[in-house]
Amino acid sequence: MTRMVEFTDTEFMIAQGARLLEDGKTFFVGWGIPQVVAILGQKLYVPNVIQLFEFGAIGPQSVLPFVRGTMGGPQNTYRSLQWLNMNWAFAYSAAGYMDYGMLGALQVDPYGNINSTFLGGTYRTPKRRFAGSGGGNQVASHCWKTIIVIRHEGRRFVPKVDFLTSPGYLTGPGAREKAGLPAGTGPYRVVTSKGLFGFDDETKRMTLLAVLRGLDPGEVVRDMAFRPLISKDIEEISPPTEEELHLLREEIDPSRFLIRGERMSAPA
Amino acid sequence: MRILKEGEIEYRFEHPDDFRRFVRDKRSRKPEPKLHPAKEAVSAFVSDGDYLVYDFSSLTRGPQSLIREVIRQRRKDLWIGAEFTLHESALLTGAGCATRIDVGFLGYGSYIGQAVCEGKVRVYDWTNGGISLRLLAGARGVPFLPTRDLLGSDNMAVSAAKVIEDPYTGLPLAAVPALNPDVAFLHVHQADIYGDARIFGTNLFALEAAMASHRVIVSAEEIVEPEEFRKDPMRTTIPYFLVDAVVHAPFGAYPGAMPARYEIDLPHIDILNGIRNEEQMQKYLHDNIYSVADHEEFLDRRVGAAKMKELRGKATIVEGYR
Repeated sequence: MTRMVEFTDTEFMIAQGARLLEDGKTFFVGWGIPQVVAILGQKLYVPNVIQLFEFGAIGPQSVLPFVRGTMGGPQNTYRSLQWLNMNWAFAYSAAGYMDYGMLGALQVDPYGNINSTFLGGTYRTPKRRFAGSGGGNQVASHCWKTIIVIRHEGRRFVPKVDFLTSPGYLTGPGAREKAGLPAGTGPYRVVTSKGLFGFDDETKRMTLLAVLRGLDPGEVVRDMAFRPLISKDIEEISPPTEEELHLLREEIDPSRFLIRGERMSAPA
Repeated sequence: MRILKEGEIEYRFEHPDDFRRFVRDKRSRKPEPKLHPAKEAVSAFVSDGDYLVYDFSSLTRGPQSLIREVIRQRRKDLWIGAEFTLHESALLTGAGCATRIDVGFLGYGSYIGQAVCEGKVRVYDWTNGGISLRLLAGARGVPFLPTRDLLGSDNMAVSAAKVIEDPYTGLPLAAVPALNPDVAFLHVHQADIYGDARIFGTNLFALEAAMASHRVIVSAEEIVEPEEFRKDPMRTTIPYFLVDAVVHAPFGAYPGAMPARYEIDLPHIDILNGIRNEEQMQKYLHDNIYSVADHEEFLDRRVGAAKMKELRGKATIVEGYR
């Protein structure tokens, strides 16, 4: 009988995110899950990744365990190369120094446009209001490759976002450049709790690249409110490894505040 | 210069020449002692209808004791500009002090989101980078600064940013207007009685806000000798002639953390996160703000020496903070 490994959807997204990072590259870290991705990645896979936070920490090596609520405190600015402020942090990204950025999202559309501002109603009278851009708009505008992390719920994948907070490929090929955004930038991957998406070179539409081991690609895209493209060669993503889970649960977030979520399982 | 696109949104703006004249005529360069109780500083420099900006947040090094004093004095119709408007935005809205907020990141807890939905407070989404850049323009004496973000997003339509044609490349470019707030609050590690101030660690826009604002109140964990600044100028964050009042406020960032001094009080943050309705908000405001005379009484009677000792003890990372 196949051994099953149990984990939360959050743990799976964090592990996937950490595996996507490239060593020796720069990484603009958004608030929340991306912070944990950066820590796990730096510990396991990319020791020489240079993290950058919008509150002016350049190249920190985060302290464990992760303390929730810390933002610009000693834990996530620890042993930085440089301490600056926000205008300089965004200067690094605007001038092309940031290779990767990672952001969470409430909604995402086929072109990787992100909504993190409100759901339903209008801007002035929304049904539900959320935090909004923060620095997400700058991250998605400037970084060479932006990675989006989003829980795989069908209603989050919409044909048109309620509010375009942070730009993906806008309306399709060439639209970012036409709007005046830096050339050659844009969303690169969408990490979900069931699979991994990229963007088709020609159409810039979201494309399913891989699914969690044991899941059927057709099932994964079925409840999405738009129909993504599906790669001819769907790859299999292994569930979180013992090493990843151990680090996450015992060293990074022992209080399980950040890594908690919906329980999942997959063949080990 | 051609304007390609603009929103029709109200925004705070002052002609750079008007601000320069204010700086020339109304900002003293004399080294005068400015140490005041928070009550006097807020009473003197914060008026109803003011635009208020502050550096950092309720989680880390925010000027929480000054914000509580504003609430205690029941200022009205404030317009706040803050990148990390965390619990401050909820408290200032719940207390009826703030009616407009330029954001940024609008958190935390469900109260503030609900207040926006109910129209209790108006929000303008400039993004974090947009607000930082507006303050830099205000500090730099120019009417706007350009940037290659905001473009293509809906923030463009709900802020007063404009798309202009870049005179050099001909490409569309976003322009954000200078921001010159009425008053800025900065909570710092050290200050002298004249207003020279040091922040250890990163900041959002401390110097930009101090230079761009009409009035600046600094609250400090520690008051040090003026001579200290002359001996080590690399560490000066704000020189005294940008500052109007200095308030001595140990634990002034509480319940947030002050890097290398004390850690965040998470149980208290959870109380703030848990505020969901008007009744809970008014109870919090009463218990922690209205029912105490000042910050000293708040620390003494609501926080307590044991809690402060515990939080100080948790601030074990001191490397780099000096």
